[in-house]
Amino acid sequence: MFRKLYLLFGFLTLGTAAFGQYRGWSLDSVNELKNVPKSVRDNPGSYRSVYSGYHHYTGGK
Amino acid sequence: MSAGTPPLPGPPKPQVKALNCPKCGAAITLRCFGQAETVVCGSCRCILDAKDPNLAILQQFEIKTSDVKPFIPLGTRGKLRGTDYEVIGFQRRHITVEGITYSWHEYLLFNPYKGFRYLTEYNGHWNDISICKQLPMLDSGFSTGGAANYLGEVYRHFQTSDANTDFVLGEFPWQVRVGEHAVVTDYVHPPRVLSSEKLDKEVTWSIGEYMYGREIWDSFKLPGSPPEAIGVYENQPSPVTTNVTSVWLAFAAFAIFLLALMAGFDLRAKKEPVLHETYTYNRADAKNEPSFVSDVFELSGRTSNVEVKTYAPVSNHWIYLNYALINQDTGQAWDFGREVSYYYGYDSDGSWTEGKQNDSVVIPSVPPGHYYLRIEPEADPSLPNISYTVDVIHDVPVFGIYAIAFVALLVPALLISLRAYTFERSRWSESDHPPVQLSAMTGSSEDDS
Repeated sequence: MFRKLYLLFGFLTLGTAAFGQYRGWSLDSVNELKNVPKSVRDNPGSYRSVYSGYHHYTGGK
Repeated sequence: MSAGTPPLPGPPKPQVKALNCPKCGAAITLRCFGQAETVVCGSCRCILDAKDPNLAILQQFEIKTSDVKPFIPLGTRGKLRGTDYEVIGFQRRHITVEGITYSWHEYLLFNPYKGFRYLTEYNGHWNDISICKQLPMLDSGFSTGGAANYLGEVYRHFQTSDANTDFVLGEFPWQVRVGEHAVVTDYVHPPRVLSSEKLDKEVTWSIGEYMYGREIWDSFKLPGSPPEAIGVYENQPSPVTTNVTSVWLAFAAFAIFLLALMAGFDLRAKKEPVLHETYTYNRADAKNEPSFVSDVFELSGRTSNVEVKTYAPVSNHWIYLNYALINQDTGQAWDFGREVSYYYGYDSDGSWTEGKQNDSVVIPSVPPGHYYLRIEPEADPSLPNISYTVDVIHDVPVFGIYAIAFVALLVPALLISLRAYTFERSRWSESDHPPVQLSAMTGSSEDDS
């Protein structure tokens, strides 16, 4: 019972890993957007990143 | 037959004789024909000699144990492992270990063609017991207190104890007595248990197989539910032990397959550099509009990931880049911010460093097309200007996926092993060979000192 379940789980895990690798999955977090206007190419300042205004770490121990 | 008919010649016909207890007069029922040695009066608890036509009283025990009620009443018939049996005897026995008394029940079953069989019950754990057909071989050299070999199977020594009979009821094919002492030694090979019972100079070997209460209830069609099994019994089959080896073998196979998968995808990945640019952030220029866009580059082939690598030679500073990877044709974009910072110094603990001059991010599942990067840099106010390099690589392997898959495969195998280990630990903690004896360890350290 456990063995069969584990085999099933293992094949699913390997299949998911292979599919993810094939489809180019990533572990990083990015924000996907649709319909960014074409004018950004000519006027980059017309677009504002959702990440701008980030409070930067000033480092140091 | 008419009244005037003379009697037929020949020996007289056998006549049925009612059996009554010579002590209290209660009717005695004999179920196993002439094979009973003793029979117990259910009314006054007299143990009677079943071989004596007058049922001589052999022993009488007090009815202080009258509250002992068999789960399977005497006379109950059932089909056990395909054979019909009738319950003809019942006894309660106990052992005392470290001042604690452990009692169990034994049921004697009888079939006129198959003979006797026993059922034992302890805390809801049942065993189907029969007498061994051949003598087991003992091996005293076994690491855990000896072992026995029976029909090719090795049984590990579990426990040796003095068993006392304290209650009997029904018929028995031996001279049963309350207060009878026997040395009982159990050897286990779950789900079987091999037991030797030494009474005076006579040793009887029996073999038992674990049964669940529900099987007993179904066999004898008993009303209600069987008592819930408490704890782990000596020969109770582990729900997972038999799977541990096969699960680890499967894990090894999966791990090898995962490695092959990793090597295959690594070889197959294009790892195609599509952009390599070095830009300079100048604080004075950035006061107007810091954002700009890169050249357009093409991502060809199937949907795959894109790695954006940043290198900035920062030293006790930071630079932050607001990135957007934008599809020139569809307007689809991936927005992300990356910080590159590197700090170092020296304090009372010694030298330290924090951060890196490199950064990498992988954007998932980017369809083919023409793309450009919009970059909006920000930097440490103390930095007047700094150069940084941006690399965009198409279709890279993500090893974190394999790491997650590896952990996902490992965790169930570990859990199954842990469960098997705790089960076996519970089993052997009740034996003469407990896995870890903390008190013994403490005692030995005290002795050493």
